[in-house]
Amino acid sequence: MSADERWTGGEMLAVAGSLQVQDGDVAVVGLGLPQMAALLAQRTHAPSARLLLEIGVFEPMPTEPSAGIADPRMWRGATAFGTTLEVLGVMVHGGRVSLGLLGALQVDPWGSFNTTEVEEADGSRRRFRGSGGGNDISSNAGRIVIVMTHQARKFAETLTFLTSPGRQVGGRSRADLGLPGEGTCAVVTDRAVIAFGPDGAALESVHPGEHPDAVLADTPIPLAVPHGGTKETPAPTARQLAFIRNELDPKGWYTS
Amino acid sequence: MSTRPDRVVSLHELAAGIPDGSHVALAGFAITRNAVAFAHELIRAGTVGLSVTQVFGGIETDLLVAGGAVDRLTYASGSLDRFGLLHAVNRALQTGRLELSEYSGLALALRLHAGGLGLPFVTTRSMLGSDLLAPLVAAGQVKQIESPFDGAPCLALPPLRPDFSVIHVDVADRAGNAVVDGPLWSIPETARASKVVLLVSEEIVDVGELDPSRVTIPGSLVHAVTHVPRGGHPTAVYGRYDYDAGHLRSYVAAASAGAEEHDAYLDRFVRGVSTFDEYLALAAA
Repeated sequence: MSADERWTGGEMLAVAGSLQVQDGDVAVVGLGLPQMAALLAQRTHAPSARLLLEIGVFEPMPTEPSAGIADPRMWRGATAFGTTLEVLGVMVHGGRVSLGLLGALQVDPWGSFNTTEVEEADGSRRRFRGSGGGNDISSNAGRIVIVMTHQARKFAETLTFLTSPGRQVGGRSRADLGLPGEGTCAVVTDRAVIAFGPDGAALESVHPGEHPDAVLADTPIPLAVPHGGTKETPAPTARQLAFIRNELDPKGWYTS
Repeated sequence: MSTRPDRVVSLHELAAGIPDGSHVALAGFAITRNAVAFAHELIRAGTVGLSVTQVFGGIETDLLVAGGAVDRLTYASGSLDRFGLLHAVNRALQTGRLELSEYSGLALALRLHAGGLGLPFVTTRSMLGSDLLAPLVAAGQVKQIESPFDGAPCLALPPLRPDFSVIHVDVADRAGNAVVDGPLWSIPETARASKVVLLVSEEIVDVGELDPSRVTIPGSLVHAVTHVPRGGHPTAVYGRYDYDAGHLRSYVAAASAGAEEHDAYLDRFVRGVSTFDEYLALAAA
């Protein structure tokens, strides 16, 4: 959804997600909206960000939309092809990745997340993709940004399945569990940016047209108000929107 | 003068060599380089009771599960990228018809790596603190240990040695030396781990025609190779052909509609033809 008719919720999400990518990041990117956010960052404020795909692709610069990580369109412009052991092993487990940009079905108050299965209203479980490299990335990368659409049911005190550890699990810190990196530092949705720190989650900013109280009502995990208050997320620029609409996702597969 | 082995067989012979109950590792990734021709042939052969390992589950595993060939699955994830999920796999998991061992992508690739090298075990910190861990520990497939050097928490994973692996390659010579173009994900580890390596190749050339520096899988590891041009359809093979979006959409429509609809797809496109060429003609019609 979008609270502003000048752009769609997906476009706002891609823009807000892209702002989490810093120039110089070495980032492993999941399929779908994370791809959009990473490619947008690469073409705007973070031209020296380097992307990696767990399928064994180094530094792609795709110029047309793709159906996902396994779509050869996503590999265009790569500097090297290799193996999963090189990307998830040497780069991620080896401590050479600063950012994981990933999707999630469900997030808990400490930024742990679920990409495996959800519980339906009748108590049955509906399976999705599973971990793939998501657990490896969230266990070993410097920081994690989750990019997902905003629905109340996606925020839960207890996850249906904890695929990927966040800042702590069951009261145990990452260091205590044996994990490097800081874990989840932000969840970016089509309504807000939720920051995660050592003390938990805070409503960092709401997107233009959104009211913090409305977002809080639809985010059923403890959310602090950051020092200085909840800000407004910068609106998409004409350049960002043009890039999304003309090059990144002209058919609106991910951002319509 | 020494001679080189000739390992070329028909697709029918390749599939017929896999007994019921075998552990078969597959090496496609979602919708790319999937051994679809092999999966079709195995379904037609009526093979059952398989244990399948695939690091990034794709359409060939979904086909085999829909065809009733698989009892057990070991994977890190499964999808058809933007086209959808592995509906047959997910349905069989939900009904309990399929037994699952689920890992992170790196953890499973490391188990195959250990299998290939004959290592007693490998270690990682991936999966610590996650819900992936408990079922694997309970099944004796992972142990939580401390590093014998610095006491750091980590996991020990045993080697994985599938009976067979089936890998879709670009070019192979008649002795099975094979080239895979594009990204390789867990293809090398899958081949190295397996007791018997079977290749499905887009092209076959004579021994001596391949530049050894381009060979991804040495023939020394390979037992048989078969020639099936476009054998990955409807998935993409890098540099050769794109995925068939229309066919993938109709596959997902059938697979997601339910087991009966999925079976009707198999009746039409797999059991209703006798060769992969017939399937390709039907799919193009």
